[in-house]
Formats: sequence, structure tokens, C-alpha cells
Amino acid sequence: MGMKKYRGIEKKQARWGFLFVVPSLLFFSLFSFYPIINAFYTSFFDKRALSKAPPAFLGLGNYIRLFDPNRAASELSFLNSLRATLVFTVGTFVPLLIISLLLAVFISNLGSRKAKKFLQIAYYTPAILSSVVAATIWMIIFDPRGLGNQWVNALMNTPGVDHRWLVDPVMEQVSTMVIYFWKYIGYFVILFITGLASIPPTIYEAATIDGAGKGQVFWRITLPLLKPTVVLVSVMAMLQCLKTFSTQYMLYTNGAPRAPINVITFNIYITGIQQQYLGRASAMSVVLFILMLMLTLLQFKTTKSEQVEY
Amino acid sequence: MKRSIALVLMVALLIPFSLFAQGGKETVVDENAPVTVQYWTHEDPARTDLENELIAAFMAQNPNITVVRTTQSSAKQIELVQTAFAANQGPDMFNLPIENQYAYISNYRVAPVDYQAAGYTDKEDLLDTYVEGVLDTVTVDGEVFGLPLELTNWAIYVNKKIFRDAGLNPETDYPKTWEEMAEVSEKLVIRDGDILIRRGYDFRYPYYLTFFVPMVEQLGGELISSDGKQAIVNDDAWLKALTYMQEWGPSGRNLGSPTYKNARKLFDLDNNDMAMAHSGLYQQGRIAEDNPEFFESGEWMVIPYPVFEDAVRDVAACYYGHFFMVNEDSDPNVQKAAWKLAGFLLSHGEDYLTRGGNIIQPTKALFASDTLKNMPYSDVFINDMERSHMIYYGANSAEIQTQIRYAVESVMLSGVSPQKALATLRPAVQEIVDEQ
Repeated sequence: MGMKKYRGIEKKQARWGFLFVVPSLLFFSLFSFYPIINAFYTSFFDKRALSKAPPAFLGLGNYIRLFDPNRAASELSFLNSLRATLVFTVGTFVPLLIISLLLAVFISNLGSRKAKKFLQIAYYTPAILSSVVAATIWMIIFDPRGLGNQWVNALMNTPGVDHRWLVDPVMEQVSTMVIYFWKYIGYFVILFITGLASIPPTIYEAATIDGAGKGQVFWRITLPLLKPTVVLVSVMAMLQCLKTFSTQYMLYTNGAPRAPINVITFNIYITGIQQQYLGRASAMSVVLFILMLMLTLLQFKTTKSEQVEY
Repeated sequence: MKRSIALVLMVALLIPFSLFAQGGKETVVDENAPVTVQYWTHEDPARTDLENELIAAFMAQNPNITVVRTTQSSAKQIELVQTAFAANQGPDMFNLPIENQYAYISNYRVAPVDYQAAGYTDKEDLLDTYVEGVLDTVTVDGEVFGLPLELTNWAIYVNKKIFRDAGLNPETDYPKTWEEMAEVSEKLVIRDGDILIRRGYDFRYPYYLTFFVPMVEQLGGELISSDGKQAIVNDDAWLKALTYMQEWGPSGRNLGSPTYKNARKLFDLDNNDMAMAHSGLYQQGRIAEDNPEFFESGEWMVIPYPVFEDAVRDVAACYYGHFFMVNEDSDPNVQKAAWKLAGFLLSHGEDYLTRGGNIIQPTKALFASDTLKNMPYSDVFINDMERSHMIYYGANSAEIQTQIRYAVESVMLSGVSPQKALATLRPAVQEIVDEQ
């Protein structure tokens, strides 16, 4: 009898719990689930943005085209986008990971609470700036007559040298990395600071009593105990970098060449929105989705094997 | 419980599909019922003031019609309209540059003009109102699908002070050929090492269909052959035009680059950093707005579009049109109201020219009017229009422009040879033409 009553309460609670979940479920199905399924479906068709005619079924045609080796020579091909995405991701997330960790350790070790708060806000501010404001700031810097050339030339005593921030293919890729780094470093610093705060201070006290130096504390205690956060941040940073779009869009609309920075998301935008090939763009989205899914699975696998116990 | 949860889950997941499947268009069943016309257009402050005034007058005359005017920047407008149409949620009335707008005709997304609603007795009356050939662009199978909000061509604005500062006489030393353009620019530029502090002239990137294709045509080349089948005609012409751009860029004579600030905007400010810029008659309104002192100073003039010394054709920069078009999927009553609105707005051509952003609506009456003839340098624009033609337009003209941009900028900025750029451009454009 008591068991029956207990089950009744559980059922009632579950029902209420479910009701609370329904709005987010609806939101997810409307804005995430439907577009994902639709993109997957559309990727098998020759769907054009403006055409009202039923799209022709292509099977794997769009995918075959994306990976067609005969198109690889074109700098605007999807294979080149994979290269550009890989270069950008590696070139951005590695410095993001290392420098955000070092900054977090530095900020966490500051004695003054005010200085801590100020630096956290200062680093995080770019992350909340709109793309338009960010574009304006960086165009002032990267204009050949802009601050970028002035600063570097003053620092290196090389008057009149144009460092071709948006012209040279290598410099253009570096420029996108610098902008992205500036915009998101604060976000990852905050994540690391949260991770550092979760390490029990007693461990540091014990290490200090045992005579460990600052370097030893970092390498032997902080870093090993921070591994779950490091893994989380590295995968998050990698996924963020794979989704990069606004930085490349901003440079392109300000006259920078497309090929060096034609990352997958940007290629999806050009193909789907400018060129109107929605089927082809959907196939690109599915490939990107699979790539990101694989990395997410890797995240789950890695975090499981990296559980830390104090 | 499990069954009910599964049921709710299914409903939750199916709701979005049913929402998107409906398309969500309102249907007006009563012809006399109030209708709302959603009108999307690009930003232009001077035109906004005039159109708000005209729309208020239109709504006063037609109390059952409400007009909602929405503006976006030119670039964003192109994407928003397309995305809205792709989702079957396009505006009732809109305008875009014809190279972007033609795809709406070829994909049957816009309705033919309702002549009576727009204020014409019939099609002949409409054709007779406009300059010959202008409506050919939007005529398919004998049906007219748009009314021109503006027809624009670009000539070259010159800052006389900068010419004199460089020891040149603007009245006689202005460039007539592209070769002279490079030579004169060389005299006008001020450099700090590699960095251009003052430019003589710079192109209007990335509108390559408007200014670059005519340069190729001057040399005897064509973008698409006259039968519409072959892309990139006459390699020599294309190579010479690409080489010219390569020499113009930072790896050549370093006279300009797409990565510098927009020449047209700098020109208005008269800050001794831009001697010549490429723009339309409408630029006069913008100079007057941005820098009235410079506008009134008489220190600027407009010169024709140059040609190459060995040009085989005298072609000026292409003209392009923005057309009012009406959504084929809108309710018939809304379509009628939209054409009525378009006709009403276009009956104020002189207002658009004088206080609506200096835009030209190509009616015979306006071209014959003293108002147009008396505008500063309007003769240069009209003469250039006579030696010009409509920009290339087709279902995929925007994509072709993207490919030309890639070719030109790869030779200017990325060190690609003109031969290699042409070898990449040709199959890319040919593929687009074949798919068209």
C-alpha cells in the first residue's frame, strides 16, 4: 500500500517535471532538430533557394561533388575549405588553450580581488561585442593606413612598411586567428578560473608545507587536477573554431581575398545564400556536423578516462 | 504514462514540420477589406524621407491600404529578400539591383505588372512612358515583371584641388584612357613607403560586372557570347584587363587595393586622400549631405568613364536598374495594392531626382526635363549611358560576379598570374552558364 502511494507521488512529480521540460523540447525541435533533419534531407537534392519547382533527387551527388578530386585544384573548392578550417582551428585553438590557461592561473593567483574582477571583465568584454563593432575596430587596425601598420612599424622601426594584413594569404589567415583569439580568449579564461577554483586549497597547502616551488605546484598539482577542464576547454575551443564564420565574413566584405579564409561555414554561406545552391550547402553542413559530432564523441570518451579524484 | 510521454514527444517534434509546411501566408478574401503591403527596400536616407512622405499621401488617398516600409543596407537586403522568398515569406513589394533581382523572374517568384492598378491604360501605355529598351530587362514572354525605381550608371568624380596640388590642371589633364588613369594616379598618390596616404583613383570593388566587364569589352572581349553558350570570349582581352588590375594593385604599381577604405566615401569628405572616385549621379546628394561646403565649393567635377588606348569598342561602365517587383505568392488584392503603390511612387520622378537621393527614373518625361538637364554634370552621365549597356543579368549573375571577383583579386592580391586566373575563371563561369 505504502509502495503504491510512493509510486503515485513519483508519477505525479515526473508528470510535472515533464511539463517543465516541454518548452525547451519544443524550442529544441523547432530551432535545432527540424533544421538538422531538413539539412540532411535537402543534401540529397538539387535544391535552389528561389526555385519553386520540385528539386531533382541527386542521391549522393552533392557529396560526390564536394570530394571530387578534379575540383581540388580550385582554391574555392570544399576540399580547400577543409584545409582552411583545419589551419584556422589548429592555429587558433592551440594558442587559445595555452594562453587562456596561463592567464587564468595568473589571475587566480592575484592577491587583489579588485584586480581579479577587473581583468576578468576586461578579457571577457570582446566576447560580448557585436560583430559589427568588432569589424569596425579591426578594420581600423588592419587598414593599410591603420593602427596595425603604425604599431608594428613603430615597434620594429620599419617606417612605411605595409604588412599586408588582409592581402598576403598567410597574413590574412593570421589576421583571422588574431581577431578570433581576441574575441574569445576571455570566455576560456573564465572557464579555466572556474576549474581552478574547484581544486581544493588544502592540496596546495599540503604542497607548500612539503616545500614545493611555484613551478612544481603548477606542473604536479594544478595541471593534473585541471585535466577535465583542459579537455573540456580544448574540445569546446576546437568546436567553436570549426564553427567560425563572422570573422571571415567581416574580412571578405571589407575587401580581403576569399580563398585563404574560405572555411567550411563561410563556403556554406556563399554556396547557399549567395549562389543559391541549398542542396550543396546542406551537404557541406552535414559534413561539418559529422566532423563536430566525432569531436564531441571524442570529448565524452576523453573526459571519462580523465576523471580526477582528490 | 510512458505512452502519453511518447505521444507528447511526437507532437512536440512534429509541430515544427507542420508549421513550416503551411507556409504561413494570410489570405484576404474580401476585396474591400483592408490590406497591408510589406515593402522592403535598401537604405538611402534622402529617399526614405521622400518615400515616407509619399506613402503617407498614398495611404490618405487609399484608406484601406496600409504600407509597411522596411529598410536594410544594400548588401543585407539582397540576402534577406532571398532568404525570405526561400521560406515562402517574401515581402509583397521589393527592389534589388537587377543582377540580383532577375533570378526572381526566372524562378517565377514575381507577378507581372498590373497595368491598370499601376496607373497605365495597358502595356503599350507603360512601354511608351519609359525610355526605349529599359523594360526589356524585366520582360519575359511578353509580360513585364517590374517597374524601374532607378536606373544608375557611374562616371568619375574628380577633386580639382588635389589635381592642382599635384601640379595638374583638372580641366585638361584628367584621364581619358586607362593608361592615362594609371599615369595621372601615379602623379596624384602620396605614399609613406608602401602605404598609400593619398590615392589618385581607385576602383569600386567588388562590383566587377559594372566596371570590369566593360573594360574587357573595350578590348574586344565578352563575358558571355552573343548566343549565350560560351563563357569568357577573347582571351587576349581578358588577359590584358586582368594584367591592368594586377599592375594597379599592391604587387604592381601600388595605386590602390580592395583592402583600402571605399574610395567613394573618402571622396565626399575632401580630406586630401582621394582624388577620383567612381559613382552615380546620386553621389551628388551624398556629397551635399556629408560635406555641404565641398559640394558648394565648385572644387569637384565629373568626367566620362575612360577607355583603353587600343580599345576596339567605346563602352562606358554598365548601368543597372533597381525595379519594383511584386511577390507572386501575395494575395491578389495585396498584389493590386502593391502595383498601385509602385505606380504612385513612380509618378513622382522629379521629386526622386531632386530630393529623393538624386536617383533617375528612366521615363521619357524625366530624360526630356530641364530638371535633369540642369543638374550638375548630368550630361556626362547621360552621354556615358548612351555608350553603355545594361549590366549582365541572368538567373546566376551574382554568382558570376563572385567568380570574377575571385579572378581579379587573386591577380591583384595573391600573386596569381593572369593566365592562371583566367584558366580558373573560364570553367567556373562556363559551368554556371551551362547550369543556367
